[in-house]
Amino acid sequence: MKPNRRIFTVLAASALAAGLAAPSLAAELEAIESAGSVKIGMLVDFPPFGIQDTSGKPDGYDADVAKALADYLGVTPEIVPVTGPNRIPYLLSGQVDVLVASLGITEERAQKVDFSTPYAGISIAVYGDSTLEVTEASGLDGQSIAVARASTQDTGVSEVAPEGTDIRRFDDDASAVQALMSGQVKLIGASNVVMSQIAGATGDRFDKKFDLSSQVQGIAVAPGSDALLEKINGFVGEARSDGTLDEIHEKWLGEPLPDFVKNAE
Amino acid sequence: MYQFNFQPVFDNLDLLLYGAWLTVRLSLMAMILGLIVSVLGAVAKTSGIRPLRWLIDVYVEVIRNTPFLVQIFFIFFGLPAAGISMSPNVAALVALVINVGAYGTEIIRAGIESIPQGQVEAGRALGLNPVQIFRYVILKPALRNIYPSLTSQFIYLMLTSSVVSVISANDLASAGADLNAQTFASFEIYLVLTILYFLLAFGFSTMFSAIRRIFFTYPAGR
Repeated sequence: MKPNRRIFTVLAASALAAGLAAPSLAAELEAIESAGSVKIGMLVDFPPFGIQDTSGKPDGYDADVAKALADYLGVTPEIVPVTGPNRIPYLLSGQVDVLVASLGITEERAQKVDFSTPYAGISIAVYGDSTLEVTEASGLDGQSIAVARASTQDTGVSEVAPEGTDIRRFDDDASAVQALMSGQVKLIGASNVVMSQIAGATGDRFDKKFDLSSQVQGIAVAPGSDALLEKINGFVGEARSDGTLDEIHEKWLGEPLPDFVKNAE
Repeated sequence: MYQFNFQPVFDNLDLLLYGAWLTVRLSLMAMILGLIVSVLGAVAKTSGIRPLRWLIDVYVEVIRNTPFLVQIFFIFFGLPAAGISMSPNVAALVALVINVGAYGTEIIRAGIESIPQGQVEAGRALGLNPVQIFRYVILKPALRNIYPSLTSQFIYLMLTSSVVSVISANDLASAGADLNAQTFASFEIYLVLTILYFLLAFGFSTMFSAIRRIFFTYPAGR
C-alpha cells in the first residue's frame, strides 16, 4: 500500500499548492448580489480620503463613495480596513471584492488589477496670495515659493521654475504651509488635499495659480470581474453626473469634484 | 549588501563646499555679533542698575530654558504676525545671535565676577580711568579666564547652526539634504557631511587657539 499512499500525498500536496498559488480570485457580481453584501477595502490612514471617525469606524471620502457604491449595487457595504502595501494583495486573494482605497491609476497597477473610471484625484498645483498675478511658470521669476523638500511638488516646481525663482525647501508640508500663512513666502507648491485643509482657516486669502501635475484614483477589482466592473463604471458615471461625487468631494475637500477627474477616462 | 556609490557626492562636491562656506559665514557672523551681545549683557548684569539686571535675567533665563528649534520657529513663523518679517538666512542669524548671546552673557559674567576687587582697586591706584579699568583690568583678564568655555560655546553654535534648514535657510546641512533628496545616497552624503562638520569644528578650534596665543597669553601685551 506504500506507493498508493505516496501518490496520495503528492496529490494532496499539489492540490494544496494549487490552492495557495491560485491566481487572483475574480469577484462575481451574482455572488455579491446573492450574499447581499459587498466587501470593500479602504484605507483608514489617509485623510481626508480614508480616516476613522471618533468611534473607530472608517470614514472619509472613500467611505462615503463605498456606501454610495453599495447602495447602487443594492447590497450592504462591509468595509474592510486595508493598508497601502497590502491593499492589492487583499483584492487579489479575494478577501475584499472591491477596493475604494485611493488607489492611484498607474501603468504597473493596471497590469495587476482592473480599474474603473476615475472617482477621485489629487492634483499638485502652485497656490498663492490672491492679490498676486501669476498664471504660469514664467511668473515665478523673482518670487519666493515654499515646497516640502523632495516631494512631488518640489520636483514639479523645480522643473518649471525659471532661473530667478527663490525655491524655499522645508522639511514637510506643514512647515511650507506655515511659511505661506505667516507671509514669509507668497507662493506654495502643494496638493489640493493640503490646500483644502487650510482653506477653512484662510478663506479666500489664497487661490490656485496654475497646475503642475495630477493623479487620478480608480475603484479597483480583481482581473476577470468584468460584470462587476461594468456595474461599477455605471455607478461612477452616474455619480459624476448626478452630483453625488461633487457633494461628497465638497464635504471632505471643500470643492466639487475637480474637472481633471471628471474629464478623465 | 549595500552598494557604496560616492559618485553623486563627488559630482556635487562644489554644492557641499558652498554649503560649508555658508555655514562658516553664518557661524562667524553669529560669533562676532554674539560676542558683542554677550559682553553688553554681562556688563548690564554686573552693573548696579536693577531694572537692566532684571531685563538681562529674563532674557538669559528664557533663552537658556527653551529649545533652539522653538526659538528659530518663533522668530521665523511667529514674528511676522507682529509685523517683523525676515528672510530665512537673516532669521537664522538673528536666532543664533540671540541664542549664543544668552549663554555668552552668563559665561562672561562669571569671568567678570572672577576678577578680585583688589585688582580693580590696583587699577584705580595706578590712575586708570573707568573705561581703561574695564578694558584692561576687568574684561581682558575675564575673557582669558573663561576663554575655553566661551570658545566651546562658539563651536557648539556652529554645530547647532545645522538646524537652520528647518526654516529653509541655506547651510551645509541643507545642501546635504537637497543632495540627498535628489540622489538618495544618504549614507555617502551624511558621511561626507560628518567629515566636513568635523573639519569645520577643528578649523574653528585651531583658529581659537591661535587667537588665544596672540591676545591672551602672559605677559599680557597691548
